Amino acid sequence: MSSVPVNNSSTSSVTASGDNAGSSAYEKEYIPYIIKWGRFTNLVGFIASLLPVLVLFFVFGLLPPVSAILAGALSQASVSGVFWFVEPISYFPILGIPGTYMAFLSGNIANLRVPAAAVAQEAAGVEFGSEKGAVISTIGVGVSIIVNTLMLTVGVILGASILSKMPDSVKIALNYILPALFGGLFAQFAVPRPKIACCAISIACIMTFMLKKGVFSFIPGPSPAYLAIATSVFATIFIAKIMYKSETKE
Amino acid sequence: MNMDDYMQIANSVPLWLAAAVPVFILILQSVLFVRKSIVAGKKMGITDEQMKKAAKSSAVASIGPSLAILAGMISLIVAMGGPISWMRLAFIGSVAYELMAASFGANAMGAVLGKEGMNAMAFANGVWAMTLGCVGWILFTAFATPKLDKFRNVLAGGKKALIPIVASAASLGAFGYLNADRVIKFKDGAFLFDNGTIASFTGFFIMAALVIYARKTNAQWVKEWGLTIAMFGGMIIAALI
Repeated sequence: MSSVPVNNSSTSSVTASGDNAGSSAYEKEYIPYIIKWGRFTNLVGFIASLLPVLVLFFVFGLLPPVSAILAGALSQASVSGVFWFVEPISYFPILGIPGTYMAFLSGNIANLRVPAAAVAQEAAGVEFGSEKGAVISTIGVGVSIIVNTLMLTVGVILGASILSKMPDSVKIALNYILPALFGGLFAQFAVPRPKIACCAISIACIMTFMLKKGVFSFIPGPSPAYLAIATSVFATIFIAKIMYKSETKE
Repeated sequence: MNMDDYMQIANSVPLWLAAAVPVFILILQSVLFVRKSIVAGKKMGITDEQMKKAAKSSAVASIGPSLAILAGMISLIVAMGGPISWMRLAFIGSVAYELMAASFGANAMGAVLGKEGMNAMAFANGVWAMTLGCVGWILFTAFATPKLDKFRNVLAGGKKALIPIVASAASLGAFGYLNADRVIKFKDGAFLFDNGTIASFTGFFIMAALVIYARKTNAQWVKEWGLTIAMFGGMIIAALI
């Protein structure tokens, strides 16, 4: 920290190690960069994801009738449509601004990106959801994207015939990795905040029970699992705020 | 046209090239963001040590779920070929989403994914459904992410001290739901208790024990390796029972 560059930031007069300087580096420099490039790469990424259907048309002459394209896409949209909004909103407090751009470009949100963000913040020992937390979770999510893409690349080169030679016992065991991961992640947050954890799991269990017993079947469309996710997240936030207020008053 | 014909198209060089471009953009975004985070993080007072720990633990923790994705990838490769499966799983969707979208697309052409009636046109329509069915996630996040940040601040009532509590509560709500979804299952109206339930509980108890141990002894290794131990521990115990 011996030489502090004084090129662009005219307003900051304190040394770079202060909290103000850190905060302004985050708000004035980091976040504008992330928003600019995040929006750009997500839009370019979406356009690039059209390349396979364009190749199928222009190279192979395969263009399904518009009615079939719409029927397929609308069937999927009727299942996913609400999640387009519920998932980014629900996972935002965990992922932060950069993590949200990355997670929704790369997919595999609950099983990879959110755990990567959580484990990175825990390992670095930063406050969860803080500015430093957002920077660290970006590193975590970025690394998870690179690891996942490398493993998928190896997997697809090996091909389905070799992958399916995986012993059955391994295939069965791999079914249990996600429930074990979710149990572990819940514990990571539950031990420091047991009261909120009890509320969260109660709400989630009641909502899931009602969902699977068909209580919400009066709502048209496919199974409204989004109700269970959104209620679990936002009711828990609401209760946590009430607890915080009553604790800080005393 | 039989099934082998469309597989030749599904595994063709032009399709590999078309799939490589979005994967490249995804990697480019990660590299840009991680590089910027390292620079900004240093200015904010995050140490190299902290960044290395974050990267290492996230890399290790990503291996388990990626193995599960690879196992799911088999069924996708069989139905949709290599390049589409590779690109779609690196990009936007998950195994469950992609299989569902591909099925909807094939169904709309009167075919069943990977089975009767499956031909090149049904394959193409599957790719269309996979591509368009996720349009909302990417457009919503491309445009609304800065507004989500403001929304979070509203949730925190404008108090910075509340943001970590909001983040932890959101995590507990989200993971609470993901566990409940795996644990609360019914078969013929009766409650179903299976090995997935065991995995969820053992993962929870292993991690809880490790975190309590770490809080008492200030053991740093738990912060880096705890989740991976809980994840594989829970999986192995559930598989052995």
